[in-house]
Amino acid sequence: MTIILIEKYGKKILELSGEIDMNASPVLRKELMTLVKKGVTPLVIDFNNVSYIDSSGIATFVEGLKGMMAFGGKLKLAALPSAVKEIFSFSKLDRVFEIYGSIDDAINS
Amino acid sequence: MEEAIKVDSLVTHYGERQILKNISFTVLRGQTTVILGGSGCGKSTLLKHLIGLLQPTSGKILINDNNIAGMREEEMNEVRKKMGVLFQGAALLNSMTLADNVALPLREHTKLEESTIQIMVRMKLDLVGLSGFEHFYPSQLSGGMKKRAGLARAMALDPDFLFFDEPSAGLDPVTAAGLDQLILKLRNVFKVTIVVVTHELPSLFMIADHVIMLDMGEIIFAGTLDELQISEHPRVRMFLERKPEAEEYSPEDYFKFIAGD
Repeated sequence: MTIILIEKYGKKILELSGEIDMNASPVLRKELMTLVKKGVTPLVIDFNNVSYIDSSGIATFVEGLKGMMAFGGKLKLAALPSAVKEIFSFSKLDRVFEIYGSIDDAINS
Repeated sequence: MEEAIKVDSLVTHYGERQILKNISFTVLRGQTTVILGGSGCGKSTLLKHLIGLLQPTSGKILINDNNIAGMREEEMNEVRKKMGVLFQGAALLNSMTLADNVALPLREHTKLEESTIQIMVRMKLDLVGLSGFEHFYPSQLSGGMKKRAGLARAMALDPDFLFFDEPSAGLDPVTAAGLDQLILKLRNVFKVTIVVVTHELPSLFMIADHVIMLDMGEIIFAGTLDELQISEHPRVRMFLERKPEAEEYSPEDYFKFIAGD
């Protein structure tokens, strides 16, 4: 998995690509929680090039959202491939996370 | 559909006795394959070979194209990380809470932070309907709950394969049906390749995509449920129609046997 932090229209976007599995999740957690602790909000996560997410990845975003909510920040998930979205939907987390069809939708929301 | 497991010409012995007699079959990815057969037919022995607990006398067992027959233990441990197993007795560690039982493989085999592990443990327990039971010990649970907890632990590392050894054994019909529903859910949502060893017909008809029937260490049927139901093999018919074995001895032979003649 690769992680790139970019900025678009003044909003921070974490671009992810590859598989978010048990090897990748600790690295992702470190990046995500660093941004959360800095109070970066809104933080948009670009899932466009994510091919797979396992339960460790989901747990990492749960932890990230919990950290954001503690100070009223916003974590926005965008451009989820259908297989990834299915995992969020199955666990009913699609009703908890803010999920957007595209990066632009997430930025403009 | 892609092959996930391929067993080729598998032969195994316990001592001098041949248990599995030149068995070959395929398990397709994302399907639930039920290994069916009466007591002592060799189905649990076959399962132990599939998870690398027993080594065959000869033959190949390909898991994701890797032959695990004769594989070194260190390599086998890597393969096992992608396997979840629910043993008959659930095999929970009685000295640990459910949360610690489920967390154990995550702590042993990953570098995940404890905070991530705790969230995953709650996800896995919720998946099997045991939310709120994190701090319970196995001795405080019913048989069905123990099986569910065992399944939560089997799912801890998000395995590609799940193996079940007689999942319904010792459960009432309603609890057994609940476990069958859970097996279906895991296949449908997580696309896990599932192998279930059972002799329970209601479970078979609820969960199986593909059936392999063993008798005396040989495959006597391999096919779909529909094909099984119209099979004319006499041993298949006996099993499906719950017909008892024919008397082993005539009264005269029995008398001779117990009289010691």
